[in-house]
Amino acid sequence: MAQDVIVETRNLTKTYRDFWGRKKKTALNALDLSIHKGEIFGLLGPNGSGKTTTIKLLLGLLFPTTGDAYVFGESSANVEKNERIGYLPEESYLYRFLNAEETLDFYGRLFNIPSSVRRKRAAELIELVGLGNDKKRILREYSKGMRQRIGLAQALINDPDLIILDEPTSGLDPLGTAWMKELILDLRKKGKTVLMCSHRLDDVQDVCDRIAILFNGDLQEQGTVTKLVEDAQRMQITATGLALTDALKHDLDAVIKKHGGTLDGFGHPSTTLEKLFLRVVDESRARPGRRYLPPTEATPAAKS
Amino acid sequence: MTPTLFGLLILERDPYVLADAAGLVQAWFQDAGGFAAIGLFVYILYALTIPSEQAESAKSRASVTTFMLVMAVVSLLLYVGYVVLLAGGKGFDITNFRQTANDGSFVKAVAPKFSLNLQPMALMLAGLAAVLGIGQPFAANVLKMRGRRIWALAKLGFKEASRAKLYWVFLLFLLPFLFPAKWYFLFKAENELRSTVSITAYAMNFVLLLPAVLLAAFSIPRDIRDQNIYTIVTKPVERFEIVFGRFLGYAGLLSVVLLLMTTVGWLYILTTGVSKEAEADTYKARVPVRGKLVFASRKAEFQGTNVGREFDYRKYIAGDPSSPQRAVWSYPRVPNSLTRDRDYVPCEFTFDIFRMTKGVENRGVDLTVRVTTRQAGQVPPVDQKDGTWRWADDARGQLYAKDAKDAVRKLSGLGPNDDVNAEAVFRYAEPPPPGQPPSKEWAALNELTEKYGYFEIAGKEIFDYHPESINIPVGLFKNAQQPGGDATLPAISIAIKCQTGGQMLGVAEGDLYLLEGQRLFAENYFKTSFGLWCRLCILVGIAIVLSTYLAGVIALLGAAVTFFCGYFGDHIADMATGNSSAGGPFRAVNSLLKAEQPTAQADPGNSLAKLTDGGDLFFSWMVRRFINVVPDLDSYSWTGYLSEGFSVPLECLAMNLLTTVGYLLPWFVLSFYLMRSREVAA
Repeated sequence: MAQDVIVETRNLTKTYRDFWGRKKKTALNALDLSIHKGEIFGLLGPNGSGKTTTIKLLLGLLFPTTGDAYVFGESSANVEKNERIGYLPEESYLYRFLNAEETLDFYGRLFNIPSSVRRKRAAELIELVGLGNDKKRILREYSKGMRQRIGLAQALINDPDLIILDEPTSGLDPLGTAWMKELILDLRKKGKTVLMCSHRLDDVQDVCDRIAILFNGDLQEQGTVTKLVEDAQRMQITATGLALTDALKHDLDAVIKKHGGTLDGFGHPSTTLEKLFLRVVDESRARPGRRYLPPTEATPAAKS
Repeated sequence: MTPTLFGLLILERDPYVLADAAGLVQAWFQDAGGFAAIGLFVYILYALTIPSEQAESAKSRASVTTFMLVMAVVSLLLYVGYVVLLAGGKGFDITNFRQTANDGSFVKAVAPKFSLNLQPMALMLAGLAAVLGIGQPFAANVLKMRGRRIWALAKLGFKEASRAKLYWVFLLFLLPFLFPAKWYFLFKAENELRSTVSITAYAMNFVLLLPAVLLAAFSIPRDIRDQNIYTIVTKPVERFEIVFGRFLGYAGLLSVVLLLMTTVGWLYILTTGVSKEAEADTYKARVPVRGKLVFASRKAEFQGTNVGREFDYRKYIAGDPSSPQRAVWSYPRVPNSLTRDRDYVPCEFTFDIFRMTKGVENRGVDLTVRVTTRQAGQVPPVDQKDGTWRWADDARGQLYAKDAKDAVRKLSGLGPNDDVNAEAVFRYAEPPPPGQPPSKEWAALNELTEKYGYFEIAGKEIFDYHPESINIPVGLFKNAQQPGGDATLPAISIAIKCQTGGQMLGVAEGDLYLLEGQRLFAENYFKTSFGLWCRLCILVGIAIVLSTYLAGVIALLGAAVTFFCGYFGDHIADMATGNSSAGGPFRAVNSLLKAEQPTAQADPGNSLAKLTDGGDLFFSWMVRRFINVVPDLDSYSWTGYLSEGFSVPLECLAMNLLTTVGYLLPWFVLSFYLMRSREVAA
């Protein structure tokens, strides 16, 4: 196995059986996958496609029917590999009778982290996930987003080399989602490897370097995000400092036709709703007060 | 000195002492080893049959080391050797062989003794090999365990229970103190403390055991259901750490509660006071030195008489001046503590009187208590009408009689030819109060007993179940420590004779003892809780282990049934050994259908009776397998000791700890394999 391969699966298959050993469902079928050091890898697929099963197999929560899974070159059955893994489950399955500090202390102890280091790291992580004011509240009182944040903190308590995130933005508001994505990108900058699975394709597109698409337990597609989403048949030109005039359109059409192409569209590019939302929130924070004015004939609504 | 009143403690079995450890360890290897051998062979067969295309991780989960294979082969060979010995009738376990009582009478359970005979040794070594084989992966896993992780998991269980406000349940314990039983029941003054102690013990058992099994049985299944366990097993946590951490957490929590409850119980007794009668009777912690009871008469085979009482704990000797029957307590050695810093050793006793005739109103029966050492060996009378046991060395006996008379003459200032009754004089000699010099009579008596090793009190009147005591001069015990005499005899023998004609005297081994000293009641009160603590650990352990594989409710039921069967250990043992006088379930059904009394003798020629006996034989075999799984809860019960005012020996508590560990260890090994083979996310 190459040195920079962090996760590797070979012919990884999981078949669920009933009490009598009869086959019920093949949740994952002969998956071959490699995740390299320092990359953000996304697992995509509809419900029941085998994303979470793959993660559970990698973590040893499930045992493979055939094939093998290796993390850091060790079998997934090996407990020691977990020293270097941080895992955020789909739901934040934490003990709800503990508060944030106790939660991190508990998971820190499971990593056998000495008391002084544990306390320091827990304090840093609580600040990082923005729960400094709520660290003494028990998790039962937390909102879903707050639980997701503390879940992420527990996944990072051991300063892991591989972070496995199952639906990391689930339950987060757009601000939280953006924060989470930024954090994931920061982790990559620190040389960490991230494996995430999500239904939210925009999240995956925003942060992942490579993705794999699963359907009904079978691997359907695998590659870099840019390569996979690239439309090689079409071209995009963006420019600033120009007004949308018929003359410009005519000239552009002529140039494109000259080179054998066709002008498909002409207009302002649109931002994503997420970017709009974040911009509005940022501006509102900077200048509090009502800013929305009903559209008039003189100032038509931006949406057209 | 006022004689210390007697505590009426029924000892249906002796508690385990350190001397029993070797025998118990051997029995443990035989029993646990049998289960281990089955587990090891099944495991190896399973591992060898994993298909080659199976995942590598599946093979690693069922890996078989060379050590395991070697141990399996060694174990198998030793079991084969055992079967050959069994078939050939060689190397029989004489040490632990016991005839079952065919008349259904009481048989005192005794601890297994270490035996060097070939059969038990082969069985033990085969078990040892199997335990080592199946235990190797477990031991390797245990070595990987880290205190910080275990403590984290233990603390989690502790916090979970406390934040679920479980302590409200434990407050139920206060009810018996808020509504004391004496409001509703009338107790004799001397029974006041007994009742308080018993009720407190029942309340503690109930209030602690029920939450214990509920907590333990549902903890891991709840973690799996709520998927909290995902965040634990994805950390570098060994699966057994989860089991052990949970166990320690709940055991720790319950230990704290137990300590608090014990303290509350103790404070209740301390603050509410104890009646004088109860204080004299039970507010103490006697340290008894117990001997072995044998029955003796003219014929050697005399085993005591069964008078037909339903509770056949006691055997009876016939009362009459001419009766040669004796109940003899023998002490193979004398503890040094009995001869240090004292003038006398109290001997306390209470007996049952079975009256064959009405007797004299307000009159008990008379006993003769004869205490002898090796230097004063006694022999039964030969003459049919003679009930007096005599000195084996007749000349020494005559010398004693002469010296006794001379001593009395000297005390009384009489001449050498004056006739005196030495027994009557010494009968009323009293030991000195503490710190006072002894009376002349007592000093002379002490000198005599030290010289001859002989002491007798005649005409000691006793009443039915009424405590009595005599004081034995310390000189007798000093004599017992001197060399000489018949080495085949015990160091001390205390022979009881019933003098009153027409009455039977019922005795059991626990009915008489020498009093070494006393300890504090408070100390004893807290020591008693150790037995309950062991029970708690056992119950929590079983429940947690079962919950690693079973659903919470099933684990709860399984643990409760296994544990509570332990309360009927003696009955189950009777069924297992075929010692139950009423037969087994097949015979019971037969009796029910035929409307026969359970005690009716089965007709040996009847084919249906043969069939039911065969069924019961098979049932006994089944029960013998099951009995090893059932905890021996009786051995952890010290309430009787406390309520009757007897000190709980520390070595018995150490044995409690040893047997608890011995019982839980196979369960923990089982949990290791169950957890390792379990997909927590399936």
